[in-house]
Parts: sequence; structure tokens; C-alpha cells
Amino acid sequence: MSAKIQRLGEIDRVIHEPARLMIVALLAAVEEADFQYVRQATGLTQGNLSAHLSKLEEAGYIAIEKTFRGKYPLTICRLSERGRAILDNYRKVIRAAL
Amino acid sequence: MHDSSSRILEQNPDVIANRLIQKAQHRDGLPEILIGLAFLILAATMWVQLVFPQGSQPYKAAIWVLGLGVPALMLSSQWIIKKVRRKFLIEKVGFVAMKPVNRKRAYIAVSIAFAIAVAAAFAAYLGRGSFPPTAWLLAGTGIGGGALMVLAGRLPRFAVGGMLMAATGIVLAFSGVSLELGFAILYGAIGLLLFVSGTTVFLILVCKPAETKE
Repeated sequence: MSAKIQRLGEIDRVIHEPARLMIVALLAAVEEADFQYVRQATGLTQGNLSAHLSKLEEAGYIAIEKTFRGKYPLTICRLSERGRAILDNYRKVIRAAL
Repeated sequence: MHDSSSRILEQNPDVIANRLIQKAQHRDGLPEILIGLAFLILAATMWVQLVFPQGSQPYKAAIWVLGLGVPALMLSSQWIIKKVRRKFLIEKVGFVAMKPVNRKRAYIAVSIAFAIAVAAAFAAYLGRGSFPPTAWLLAGTGIGGGALMVLAGRLPRFAVGGMLMAATGIVLAFSGVSLELGFAILYGAIGLLLFVSGTTVFLILVCKPAETKE
């Protein structure tokens, strides 16, 4: 087995899950987005998205901040530096292996 | 979700993000409404210049609208969309702060548009004997604009719009209309199409009850 293929074993399992990969990829492409935007863009259900965001937050890949815009409560999500580094590494490993 | 899951893992995260953002960007129809409106105004000013004599009040007004109104609308469209979304649609579409425009990507888009224009001009030059230049311009604009719409929108409704724009350009090329009238019809048709599809999407979104937050 080539070394590049073997590197697939190093892939971070937290962001390898398709729904979480969608969320991380989306947050990497924007400055920040709220729960509703991420839900609309990914097509995930509220419960599903909540669970995945919690996992990503626990892993330190995203930061979640509760705030208000006028009277409207916002749950702002943004990718952390750690999350960005993990995604960059994931990108490199996948590109090299496929 | 399960079928798309396996496909997602085969893709580059950048491609996934671009596709998701593209879909989210057009979910309220606002960009289409504004672009459609700009095309309709453009077509109207061209039509006024055809119908009214040079120097008349409507003719002068059309020149002003064409010179100032349309560019102002195009330049301020992103700002208008952002304001409308944040003020009136935040419960429905959510909040997002985009990254600053990627200059490299903008340069690539402009270069592609320029290459298409040069290729169309070259094709027109080669076939100048068999087909009048007016027809080449109308057909080229229709096909080029349609292709741009399909590439920029990447949604089924934009694919249909792009094909209609290309077909309109080709039909106008063969119909023998003047260049001015041809462009007025082409821009008017595409403006109307975008405005109607954007308004339909917008109304569907507005009429849908807002979902409760997490």
C-alpha cells in the first residue's frame, strides 16, 4: 500500500462524517453564519444540525456565540483556527490519496 | 441524506462549500429580481431610444437612466440585497457574513468573459460573408449570456433561463431585426424571465411560515 493511501488512516473522524464535513466546508468559506443559514444551506434538520454543531464545538473546530440582531436571537457559528488547520490537512490527505 | 453523504466524501471541501453557498445565495430570489430589473430597465431605455426622436425628453431621460441608473443599480445591488436580507428576511434565510471578494477568482471570470468575446468576434470575422455581423452579435450575446447564466447560477432554473436566452439570441439572429431592436428584445426577455422567476422564489419563501429556532 502506498504511503499516500496509508495517510487516509490519519483522517480526522470528526470532520470525515459527511454532515460535519458540509458544515465545516461551509464555515470555511464564510466569515461567520448563524444556525438558520447553515441549516438552510446544508439541508440538515434542526436536531441533526444541533447535534453536529455540538460535536464540532466540543472538538474545538468551531466557535458558537449566542447574540441578538435587533429582537432576533442569533446563534453565530464560525470556524476556529484549529478547525481550519484540520480542514486543510483533510483536504491535503484526500487530494493526495484520490 | 445517505446517498448524498457518500458523494460528499468524494468531493473537495471547497467544491462542497461553493455549491452550498451558491444554493443559499439564490434561495430568496433577490439577486434574480435585481438583475432582472436592471435588464428590464436597460431594454426599456433601448426601446425608448428607438421609438422617440433624438433630442426629445423621453430620449434624453433614457440616456440618463442608461448612463447613471443602470450602473448605480448594478453597483449597489449587493448592498441592497444584504440590507433587505438582514432587515426583513433574517428569520427565514438566516445571517451570514461573507468573506471579502476573491480577486483572483474575479480576474479569472473577467478573463473568461473576455476570451468568449474575442472568440465570438473572431467567429464573426470568419463568417462575415455568409451571415451579417448584426446576427452574429445577437446570437453570440444570447449564447454567451446564456452560458454565463448557467455557470453563475448552477441551479436548474438558471439552466432553463440560460437555454432560453441562447434560443432567443439565435431566433433574433435569424429574424433579421436591427441590432438595437434585437438587443432591446433580448435584454427585455431575459430581464422578464429573471424578474418573474426571482419574484416567484421570493413569494414562496415569504409565504412559507418561519421555522422555530433550535
